[in-house]
Amino acid sequence: MVIAALVSFVILLVAWILAPSEAAAQAAQQPIAVEPDPEQMPVAA
Amino acid sequence: MPEISAGDTAWVLMSAALVMLMTPGLAFFYGGLVRRKNVLSTIMHSFFILGLVSVTWVLWGYTLAFGPDTGLGLIGGFEWLGLEGVTGEPSSVYATTIPHLAFMAFQMMFAIITPALISGAFAERKRFKAFVLFAVAWSTLVYAPIAHWVWSPDGWLFGLGVLDFAGGTVVHLASGVAALVAALFIGRRSGLIAPATEPHDVPMTVLGAGLLWFGWFGFNAGSALGANGLAATAFATTNTAAAMAAITWVTISWLHRGTPSVLGAAIGAVAGLVAITPAAGYVTPAAAILIGLGVGVVCYGAALLRLRSRVDDALDVFSVHGVGGAFGAIATGVFATVAVNAAGVDGLIAGNPSQVFVQVVAVVAVGLYSAVSTGLILLVINLVVPIRVPGPAEEAGLDLAQHGEVAYQP
Repeated sequence: MVIAALVSFVILLVAWILAPSEAAAQAAQQPIAVEPDPEQMPVAA
Repeated sequence: MPEISAGDTAWVLMSAALVMLMTPGLAFFYGGLVRRKNVLSTIMHSFFILGLVSVTWVLWGYTLAFGPDTGLGLIGGFEWLGLEGVTGEPSSVYATTIPHLAFMAFQMMFAIITPALISGAFAERKRFKAFVLFAVAWSTLVYAPIAHWVWSPDGWLFGLGVLDFAGGTVVHLASGVAALVAALFIGRRSGLIAPATEPHDVPMTVLGAGLLWFGWFGFNAGSALGANGLAATAFATTNTAAAMAAITWVTISWLHRGTPSVLGAAIGAVAGLVAITPAAGYVTPAAAILIGLGVGVVCYGAALLRLRSRVDDALDVFSVHGVGGAFGAIATGVFATVAVNAAGVDGLIAGNPSQVFVQVVAVVAVGLYSAVSTGLILLVINLVVPIRVPGPAEEAGLDLAQHGEVAYQP
């Protein structure tokens, strides 16, 4: 049972490696509203 | 066979649930701090780990961290692989008044939140796939050994006499140092001129801080592993340090910047919770006030230094968890007293200065190991899957580029 559980996880791991890493490569090229980077208040303030 | 205590079991199971809630709380805490185009990806890094490390912990994480030692006090063996032999009966080693599975589940929640903490350092520019692989590798190769060193009776730091009640070194220092390495490795966010960006949703961050504070009662008071006076002590010291650090941070920012920052209250509270974590069951509530004050000052200074550096630790993980964890670990060596916990040892103030040295050894060992192994893990993963997303994806935001979703409709 433990071996089967390990194998099932490894299958997922392989799937993650093979899965598209730029899932939204096309979407990223669509015109979207990109907000400007406000560079004001420090996070730690 | 040890006898199960219903009260202890109920408290530890409840504490495990409280600690579980901290990871979604962290997701909100971090989610509010990033820009709106990256909020979903930031939340996902914590939420996915909740599933991911839950599974790896059952399969091999628990046995590596808490399983019978392999001989050198460095890591556990595979006797409990897949939780074989870990049952509803108590362990003969850990928390002998509760089911072994309850102890395992409680520890699982610590293992989950630790890699999630790191995610804030390289937020807004890391590839999801690479982060998933990183989380698997880091929780296996960094978290499990360090937990074994400190919390297994066979661990070498445990044998040295280090005091870490709930994970100041194991959770916070280890993740904080890893966060710094990750931020250095991946580089600064593109187009960033100022050292930080403005949070997109401060209320979300304060909500996250509130959930973290609530869950931390399970984290620290639950680490008493029983419904008893020690749990009450840890509960009291935890709340006291968080409160003192929050009001200290707000006061400093008020004097320094002219306004009492709401964000500062949230971050200050978290810094206090971090610092009291190793000390919670070893110090008095009065000492917790001093620890809260000290960590408020030290972590505020660390955050200021980070802002003046070129390091883009996006959500100040090192300043709060790395510095706060190290501060808390050393403060434990200063303020610990057997009057609070007879199973502990006295610290500097109680006449045992050598405990400070032991705590420093633990800080150095955990920090060095986490830094080196995190760097190696990132190097290897970067060969398989580039950790950083391409420039256009970073500009568009990870929510859309990595997950095909947006948090807020126009």
